Amino acid sequence: MLDQYRKFALTRLSNLGPNLLPFADAATADLPLGRLLRLSMFQVTHGMALVLLVGTLNRVMIVELEVPASIVGIMISLPLVFAPFRALIGFKSDIHISALGWRRVPFIWRGSMYQFGGFAVMPFALLVLSGYMDAATLPAWVGICSAAIAFLLVGIGAHMVQTVGLALATDLAPPENQANVVGLMYVMLLIGMMVSALLFGALLADYSPGKLIRVIQGAAVLTLVINVIALWKQEPRDRSRARQAAPEDDFRQAWRSFISGGAVAPRLMVIGLGTMGFGMADVLLEPYGGQVLGLSVAATTRLTATFAVGGLIGFALASRVLSRAHADPMRLAVSGLIVGVPAFAAIIIAGLAHSTLFFLAGTLLVGFGTGLFAHGTLTATIQSASREQIGLALGAWGAVQATAAGLSVAVGGILRDLMISLPLGTGDGITAGYVTVFSLEIAMLLIALLATRRWLASPLPS
Amino acid sequence: MSDPEKVFPTGLTLSEAEELHSQLVDGTRIFGVISALAHVLVAVTTPWLG
Repeated sequence: MLDQYRKFALTRLSNLGPNLLPFADAATADLPLGRLLRLSMFQVTHGMALVLLVGTLNRVMIVELEVPASIVGIMISLPLVFAPFRALIGFKSDIHISALGWRRVPFIWRGSMYQFGGFAVMPFALLVLSGYMDAATLPAWVGICSAAIAFLLVGIGAHMVQTVGLALATDLAPPENQANVVGLMYVMLLIGMMVSALLFGALLADYSPGKLIRVIQGAAVLTLVINVIALWKQEPRDRSRARQAAPEDDFRQAWRSFISGGAVAPRLMVIGLGTMGFGMADVLLEPYGGQVLGLSVAATTRLTATFAVGGLIGFALASRVLSRAHADPMRLAVSGLIVGVPAFAAIIIAGLAHSTLFFLAGTLLVGFGTGLFAHGTLTATIQSASREQIGLALGAWGAVQATAAGLSVAVGGILRDLMISLPLGTGDGITAGYVTVFSLEIAMLLIALLATRRWLASPLPS
Repeated sequence: MSDPEKVFPTGLTLSEAEELHSQLVDGTRIFGVISALAHVLVAVTTPWLG
């Protein structure tokens, strides 16, 4: 009798086992939309981390915690240091050997853990950095070091999760669906950024140290929970890979063979230039609207929404166009650059002619061009990567893209502060300053366009 | 259940189970270090002992 119960319990347990483990069934040819949506949620936490680091904490540290702007600038740019390592992370995930037959999951899990850990210690590190209560008696290096550790952890975690997450999405999606997957990933990133910007703004509207701890640690928990939900039962286990001999672990050689293949190097250059050209607008449009066109704070917030809507239209159109057979994503990226030139010109004209209409149209077009360019370059990266080098290719894309985006935000921020501090008033002087910056962006887009001449001149690859 | 390598009742082989375990150990280590750091930082800001 007892034996029967024991047997019954054990069979039930062993049947329960596989359902409780995060393994996917055998790889299916089609990836259902629900599963894809779930996977793309790692982009939401990435957007959340971006907004928290670059937007919310930037403000909180300077305004409420009264940390010197130079230290804040260094802290915020620290995660950028790890951006080039994305290529290495992607490569490591390509060649990862696991008894479980997984390549991507261990990296995403570990990245989520670092990101969680960084956010978990960050509020305390920031309070120590600002000399809150007893921390005021400590030497300055304690706060600086602990805050640096927190920012570095978040940075390395976010880079790992995004690089390897995109590689996993590419692994899972059938080639004809890749353009749609890329679109979905960008839309989810945008949604994550918009929602968390609004949410963090509302939650930290009246600041208190306790609130800061709750908000950042809440973000930490959300990161881990959402990433695990996104990851659950996604990557199929490849038992044959688990038994294979370890592939050669030579990053240098793999990089050399990757960079020499096709038009990889010039494409990376175009991605960097284009991202920088479009990226600076992100931080400059709002103060431009306020200082030159005299828009109110509420109106400049609507600007951000206009920019995002432009981006969404861009992503949607790019997904549609690139889903067709024989569509060349790099050509689409080039049209994004072409849209960007008149868009920035419209913004310049808006300042000279004091026309809000031109400004809104220009902002919408910049968003649209950014959407086309970002989608096109990422799709091109994915489509040109060989099946065994997807992680490396996406790592290289991410390294260039994240570095360029970070640099443009930093440069844009420095220029903005310069504009605000210069005794130019609100007259022609400040308009001239902004016009110079926007002209610089046009110049960058034009250089990127020149670099793509080769693709436009050559016939489409069959 | 014929595979002698399989560990009952999860259906994992020994090496698979060991890999999961090593992830668990690493995770505990990372979380341990993080929580220790967080505790130290809170303790220097608002000392709750003595």
